[in-house]
Amino acid sequence: MMKRLASLSVPQKAAAAVIALGFLGLFAGDPYKGSRYTIDEQELARVVETTVDHVSPQELADWIIQGKADFRLIDLRTENEFKEYHIPGAENVPLTALMNHGLSTQEKIVLYSDGGIHSAQAWFLLRAKGYSAAYMLFGGLEEWKDRVLFPKRAANATPAEAVEFARMSAVSAYFGGTPQSGTADTATTPAIVMPKLEMPASAPAAAGGPPKKKKKEGC
Amino acid sequence: MHADAQSLAADAGQGHESHAAARTPQPYVHPYLAGFGLGLVLLASFVIMGRGLGASGAFSSVIAGGIDAVAPAHAQGNAFYGEYLGDGSRSPLMDWLVFEVLGVFVGGFLSGLLAGRFKKEIGRGPAITSGKRLVLAFIGGGILGFGSKLARGCMSGQALTGGALLNVGSWAAMMCIFAGAYAVAYFVRRQWQ
Amino acid sequence: MNAPLFKFGLFGDNVGLIFAFVIGIAFGFALERAGFGNVRKLTAQFYFTDLAVFKVMFTAIVTAMTGLFYLAWIGFVDLSQVYLTDTYIVPQAVGGLLLGVGFVVGGYCPGTSCVAVSTGKIDAVVFLVGIVAGIFAFGEMFPLLESFYNATPMGRITLPELLHVPYGVVVFLVILMAVGGFAGATWVEKTMAAKKGGQTA
Repeated sequence: MMKRLASLSVPQKAAAAVIALGFLGLFAGDPYKGSRYTIDEQELARVVETTVDHVSPQELADWIIQGKADFRLIDLRTENEFKEYHIPGAENVPLTALMNHGLSTQEKIVLYSDGGIHSAQAWFLLRAKGYSAAYMLFGGLEEWKDRVLFPKRAANATPAEAVEFARMSAVSAYFGGTPQSGTADTATTPAIVMPKLEMPASAPAAAGGPPKKKKKEGC
Repeated sequence: MHADAQSLAADAGQGHESHAAARTPQPYVHPYLAGFGLGLVLLASFVIMGRGLGASGAFSSVIAGGIDAVAPAHAQGNAFYGEYLGDGSRSPLMDWLVFEVLGVFVGGFLSGLLAGRFKKEIGRGPAITSGKRLVLAFIGGGILGFGSKLARGCMSGQALTGGALLNVGSWAAMMCIFAGAYAVAYFVRRQWQ
Repeated sequence: MNAPLFKFGLFGDNVGLIFAFVIGIAFGFALERAGFGNVRKLTAQFYFTDLAVFKVMFTAIVTAMTGLFYLAWIGFVDLSQVYLTDTYIVPQAVGGLLLGVGFVVGGYCPGTSCVAVSTGKIDAVVFLVGIVAGIFAFGEMFPLLESFYNATPMGRITLPELLHVPYGVVVFLVILMAVGGFAGATWVEKTMAAKKGGQTA
């Protein structure tokens, strides 16, 4: 009988305890504090200073060629500019829609705009909201054009530079660009024709269709 | 999590003598105690992995992996299977939920064995034949499998995990689970009562 | 702030799989102990004779929710790093209804059917085959279903955000609702037992 009474009171004790805990919770504040809505200025400053928040155009080109799918490429420019040309695999997301685009705080995000300013601003927004793996394309689309689509060979290239140029020429061809060899020091580049959006049929990634999505984490 | 398993095991130990004496199954653990244990397992999963429990996702991974092995072009052309295949750098079976569900089988077996509840049988009410019960089990499983994908998770992935995280979609799904079940319960009562 | 341990890089994917297995064992053990390998105990929920499903589920939700709330509050867990499924309200509601129907017709849910299989229940094996068939059908029909599947997206959103109230308030309300529900459930069970003249399933 005693045991029966004791066992009856345990759930009631537990209920009282958990209600008390819940009541305290009313005054406990936001459990997301310190994570989602605050900026760790020191951490951000360190990241900016060490430029680990940058992805170079060459790196990005390599990722795309290798078919890496562990990142999301975000084009911050206008829809028309996006339609005209964008880096293969990019998604067009204006700055105002960035927070509602279904990006996850844990996935790797590479941002780019024409130059570097818009992507830097978007980067800051994302980092402040707790997106811990946001990166900027260094120099934006301008740098992408200069380094990847239309790489130039300096007139007095060192052997190392020449090797790098040969490599980038292949990369450039992959993305439908035209390497600017010859007399680049004249600074008058021939008429630059932006590549068509379609990838060349011979490209290895073209066979696999659009880059595969990151594996889902939920059920 | 270990403490949890121990507390449950200790609870099982209460009926140890009767277990040794006969094969009468032990009574089930009190719902609140079992729920507390389950909650601690879930909490451990949050703290260790940063994700909750699940079940239906593991089946999806196995199916996606199976189709990918038989007809890779078909599987990779389908966005749904693609979500479970990832970028192809890792087998879809090397998945967190797949391993978790393997553990569920083992844990269930261990608990059933220790409590003397392992018994080869068809679970059903007295008013239905085994054949009919198996047909309904298949139909119910099919509806549930389909629904679990539409709801983006099942009772473990949505109701339990999402419930504890106060996820809006999970609470909606949980309410609808109860609503759907109570709405149809009357029509299949002869299967159980 | 050093949890979730995995998200803070304390171990990699492969060690994560070991944890998955161990957590799964504890999960299966707890489900079986609760009696969730027994199809008649599970479905009794829907005939008001045994409301253990509700009690176990909400005790677990309250335990994990309250535990996580306080662990985040003291700064041990970074709550934003805990994975939250995005909400797509209409398809999820429809999916929930189907889950409920499948539950009462088939007798199990995915997790409990695994436990039932491992304790020798043949109907659970058939039920599992049914789940596989259902998911396969969904996968094959996915091109047709995709627009509905992705309809009414709300992103990553929690009840406190939806209702514009502090997180702790929702925690408290859920606890009150659960405790009230437990008292009500126990009363219903007693009433049903009295009605049946003490006859228990």
